[in-house]
This record gives sequence, C-alpha cells and structure tokens, in this order.
Amino acid sequence: MEFGFSEEQVEVQGLARQILTDQVSVDKLAAFDEYANERFDKALWQQLLAAGLPGVAVGEEYGGMGLGFTELTLLVEEVGRTIAPVPVIAHCVSAMLPIQKFAPQAVCEALLPRAARGEILLTAALTEPLNETAGSPVLTTAEAAGDGFVVSGCKFAVPFAAAAHRVLLAVAVGDDVAVVLVDPQSPGVSLEAIQATTFEPQYQLTLDRVNVPAADVVAATGGEAIMAWAELRTAAAVCAHQLGAADAAMRLAASYTSERKQFGVPVATFQAVGHRVADCYIDVECLRLTTYQAVSLLDADVPATTELHIAKIWAGDCGHRVSYATQHVHGGTGIDRDYPLWRYCLWLRYNEMVLGSSARHLAALGEQLAVGEGLFS
Amino acid sequence: MNIQFTQEQLALRDELRAYFKDLMTPELQAECERDMGEGGGPLWREALRRMGKDGWIGVGWPSEWGGRGMTPLEQFIFIEEVMRVGYPFPFLTTESVGPMIAEFANDTLKQEIVPKILAGECLISIGYSEPGAGTDLANLKTSAVRDGDEWVINGQKMWTSLAHFCDYTWLAVRTDPDAPKKHKGITMFLVPNSDPGFSYTPVHTLGGVRTNATYYDNIRVSDDMRVGELNGGWRLVTSQLNRERLSLINFGPVSQLFNQLAIWARNTELPSGGKLIDQHWVQHNLARCRATIECMKLIVYKQSWAMTEGTLDMADASAAKVYGSEAFVEVFRLLGEIVGQAGLYRSGSSHVTAEAAKLERLYRTASIITFGGGANEIQRDIISAAGLWMPRASR
Repeated sequence: MEFGFSEEQVEVQGLARQILTDQVSVDKLAAFDEYANERFDKALWQQLLAAGLPGVAVGEEYGGMGLGFTELTLLVEEVGRTIAPVPVIAHCVSAMLPIQKFAPQAVCEALLPRAARGEILLTAALTEPLNETAGSPVLTTAEAAGDGFVVSGCKFAVPFAAAAHRVLLAVAVGDDVAVVLVDPQSPGVSLEAIQATTFEPQYQLTLDRVNVPAADVVAATGGEAIMAWAELRTAAAVCAHQLGAADAAMRLAASYTSERKQFGVPVATFQAVGHRVADCYIDVECLRLTTYQAVSLLDADVPATTELHIAKIWAGDCGHRVSYATQHVHGGTGIDRDYPLWRYCLWLRYNEMVLGSSARHLAALGEQLAVGEGLFS
Repeated sequence: MNIQFTQEQLALRDELRAYFKDLMTPELQAECERDMGEGGGPLWREALRRMGKDGWIGVGWPSEWGGRGMTPLEQFIFIEEVMRVGYPFPFLTTESVGPMIAEFANDTLKQEIVPKILAGECLISIGYSEPGAGTDLANLKTSAVRDGDEWVINGQKMWTSLAHFCDYTWLAVRTDPDAPKKHKGITMFLVPNSDPGFSYTPVHTLGGVRTNATYYDNIRVSDDMRVGELNGGWRLVTSQLNRERLSLINFGPVSQLFNQLAIWARNTELPSGGKLIDQHWVQHNLARCRATIECMKLIVYKQSWAMTEGTLDMADASAAKVYGSEAFVEVFRLLGEIVGQAGLYRSGSSHVTAEAAKLERLYRTASIITFGGGANEIQRDIISAAGLWMPRASR
C-alpha cells in the first residue's frame, strides 16, 4: 500500500499546478461570469496542450504521454483547485478514455492523435432527462443502417457540445446498447444551450434521424458496460475536481479568518470559527482518501463500484459542508462577487449533484449490501 | 500511489486471521467479555505471551529488539486482526508507550523493559490526568523530588485505566515547580505498580468499563527510571499522545461488527414477510456506516504509511482522532437503529442476539475517546493551527 506519488505523478501535478495557478486569475474568471463569454479559456487550453497535459493518459502511439488514470485525475484536481474554464473532464475523461479503451483501432487513429494535440474537441453525453444512467439510454434509440446507425432521441446537459467535433453517447438498439460518436454538425442534430449554475457551456442535444457512419461507431453492441466504465471514471474525476475545489475554498477561509479582525483579534482565534474550519480539513482529507482510493483501483482495473459510491458520497457531503462553512466564516465577504469564494461554491454544488448525489449513491451502496456485496474484506 | 494491500500484506493478513481464529478459544472469548473488553484475566495473559513468543507483538519493530523488522503498516495489520476477533489487545503499552521507552529511556531500562513488552510480559498504564489537570494537562501537580540518587514521588492521578493489572505506570510528574511555563517543568518516569506506595481505587463508568484513580505515596525510584531529559517530559507526552490517538482508531472490530450486522439483516425474516434488509432505511443506515468506516480505514492506513515514511503529521493524527472517535459514536447509533429495541438489552438476556447486546454496550462506551486521549476540542485547535496555520487564542 503506497499513498505517496511516483516521480511522474509529482511531475504532472507540479506542471499542472504551475500552469493553472500562473494563468487562472480572478479577472480572467470574471470574464465568463453570467455567460458573458463561453466559459472556455482557449488560451489556457492551448498552454495545457503545449505541455502535453490533456494527453497524459493517451497512449504514446497516439501522441499522448502514455501515463494512467491516476496522473489524469491529478490534472483534474488542479483544474478543480483553480476552477479553470477548460473541458478537461469532458474531453480527456468522458470521451478520450472510453474511445482509447473500446473503439476500433481505425477510430482511435482518426481521433486520438488530433484530440491529444487539441486540434479537435471531444465530449460525451452521459445523461438523458430524468435518466442519469449513462449505459441505459431510454430516450435515445437507433436502427442499424448498413454498418452505421440512424439515431434519434435526446441527451441532457452535454458539456461543450457546440465546440465539439464528436459527442460520445449510448443509444438503445432493440434490447442492446451501442456506443456511437455523433457529429454535432450533422443534419438532424440540434443543440439548445442550457444555463448551468457554474456557467459551463452545456446543451440539450436533440437527434432526429441522424446518420452515424460506420467510422463513428465505437461499439455496435455491449454498450452498457462501456458507458458504465466511462461513467465510473467520469464520476471519479468529478470527485477529484471536487477535492481541488474544496481544498482551495477551505484555504481561502483559513487565510481570511486569520487576517480578518473583530473585537481586536483575528476571528480565527475564536474556537467556534477555528473548529468549523478544522471540520472542513477533516472532510477534505476524507474526500482526498476516498477519491484517491477509487482512482487507484480504477487505474489498476480492479472492480471499484463500492469505493466509487463511497467517494461520491464524500464528494457530495464534503462539498456541501465546505461550501456553507466557508461562506459562513467569511461573513458577507464570502458571497460578495468581488471576492473569489462564490465561484467555488457554484462548483462545489455542481460536483455534489452531477452523476448522482450522496442520497443516490447511498441508496446504490445499500442495494449492493442488500445482495451481500461490498462488505469489508 | 497504489491504495491496495500488496500480495505480501494480504498474505500476512490471512495468516494472522487464521492464527487468531485458532488463538481465540470460546473460553478466552468468554473471559474477555466478562472483563468488559479490558483483558487482564489468566487466559488473556497466556494468549498475550503466546503472541509474544510467536513473534507477532513486534512484527513492525526492528530486529534488534526482537521484532520482525516490518513496517508500521504491517504492525497495524496485526493490531487490526487481533482486535477484530475481540481480544482486548494492550495497544497503549505496545504501540504508544513502548516505542517511547525504546527511543528515550536509558540503556538499562530499555534492555529491561522493551524485550518484555514484545514478549507480552510487561503491561504499562498511563498516568497523565489529575483531579485538577485534564485538558490543561500541563497543570499537573504530582511531583518528583530529588533525594540523593533517587526520586521521591507523591501525588494522585485520574483515569489510570488498566493500572490494577499493569506492571508499571508511565507517569508525568512535576520536577520544576518554578518553571516559568508550566509544561517546561515536567519529567517522565516509569513507576512500578508493585511499589508499596502505589495504590488505586476503581472508577466505574457508564459503559461498564472500569478505570482507576491512582495514588503515589512517597514512592522512591532510581534515576534510571526517568525517561528522557529532566524537565523535558512534555515532548514525550505529546509524542506519545500522537501515537495513542492513532491506536485508538482501530477499525478492525467495527468493520467486523458491520459485516456481522449486514449479514444478520440479510438473513433475518420479518414476521410480516421479507427480510430486515429489504427495508430502505436499513439499507441507508448500512450504507452510511459502510462509507463512514471506509474512511476510518483509509485514515489509519495512510497514517501507518506516513509513520513508515517518517512523515506523520500532527494535524493528521488529530484529524484521525476526531474523525474516528465521532465516527464510532455515529456508527453505533446507526447500527443500533437497525437492531431496534433489541439493542436495549444487556448481554446474557434471553431472546437477545450477541450483536444486539454488543450494540447495547458499545453505545454506552463510545463517548470515552471523544474526550480521552486529548479532548476533540484540543484536537480541532491543533488541526486549524498546525494544518491550516490559523492563529489561536492564547490560553
């Protein structure tokens, strides 16, 4: 059992942290508030690409660094710490990882090198309205057409869909599930912008008899397991993003309360304040450990459903508690839009809810236990 | 980063699991339950000596002390497994005071005590708190006064658990009553509980666990029994407490209890049909406990790993203590809700399962470590100061 990072991991983390802390500033983030501009910092994305970071988990044969899921989530954690406006989870985790793992070689060759270089953007549609199970599409169906498909239906909250070259999504084909890549420019595709709480560009994707050629089929059958695989990794990445964001919010609160004086002393010296931030420290440590455990198991391709449920429960609980505790100890400053905390609070809420709240993951874990799975070894 | 046991660690765990299954006879189990999970009985002592002889107590100790030279993580696996079978292992002696003696005692005392600890033949109680010194421990008054080559010790300690069957007490005393700062006048001694000047009276607690008030009446010890520098005891106290805080958060027994409860809920038929576990609220409570205990496990594994690396952090040791102690309280409540009213009846009552009776008792004992081993308020102070560099109020 090894909790430390390898040399390569330290390097990836350090490089990501350096670029992101240098480049992300309150002023730059403010430019994207309230949808003033599409929340995608393309200059920053280019810098991350120049360092090779978005391709960290892409094989060297496709121009990536050839490292693993652990290194990728360390990048995501740093993106969370700075709440940087880049499509790292959608592009690198939800789309590139399942393509690399499951798509035919021709698809990988056509997409991954360009995606790793950032010439094209990829994303994935994991949810439908009222259906948050990526591998069980209900509203999106397809009929076979030659070696491709004709696809109709609807996906909800697809990040960066308008800028994407392809959208990875699951379609029901009779009793089976296929995984395909949809070109958002294809005839029959319509995108309707929805305004997410975080200002991230997201779209409702409607498909009306859209032709998907054979070259864009990731898997014609057995898509449920592929999407479950992608969903697990995306959820783990959301936990890592939450970890970075919660840690940053906590440290803002620690600094602010150490400086801010009332009754002639720093407010941090009041135990009621110090203890509330200490509780954040414990919550963040719990999120860190459960997230790293899930990531470590997923990286080793070991079954990790139980561990992922637990990490996402912590991502939800920790996110909610840290958001409210840090707002509270800041007083009015915490919610003042001239101070950086409020944007973190938006992301803490988003990450709490996306891909299943604590309640949903507790229920799923409880169901596992009810069938005799997930006990302590 | 690889947060899984290695093959060797898994093999060690399995070996220990088989070993303790064999060691923990029904007679020993009954004796331990009778002694309220404290130990001290004849079968308990015999089992401890056997663990010593078989080289387990020192599995993570260096070979020069007769240990097996493995890391603190292997040592933790041992503690987890021995506690899992319900054996009240004297971890304060072996995991917290023992290492302090090995590091800070003079050679004579080291050679005398450490091999005995690893052989399961020496037990040590801890004498810190006093009637007027609890959370403000540095306010302690028990004194040691130099008299020729000897020290003369007088005073009273509180909550000296296990003192009624231990061989020594690891005792914090005042050696400089005029020190400008209270914590700079404290020295550590190892005092034999067999001394005629040593006495105790029992203190019975809500959870049935017995502890003691101990009295020190003109006990004379040689300077060899002093551990560490004169007036340098505070560092040893805090360092021992860091180790103690970790040892207190052993998730072996609670994960075992969780598994037993989950299996029981899965097998138990409701009179109205269906199984107990089919109810959503039962699943919810179990899931909540599962997630809570998982974190306890990861926290202690990480700290055992950090001890191996020599990077054990004070804020993290305090975080483990706060989280673990409060998690126990919550888990016993949630698991108790699953057994329902049956969780209100004492062990030995008819019509009550062993797990339900255990929860009746555990719920009564759980508060001890939220204040014992350093009150959680003090731990939170340490976390905000040492972990987040926040200023704290002067006291």
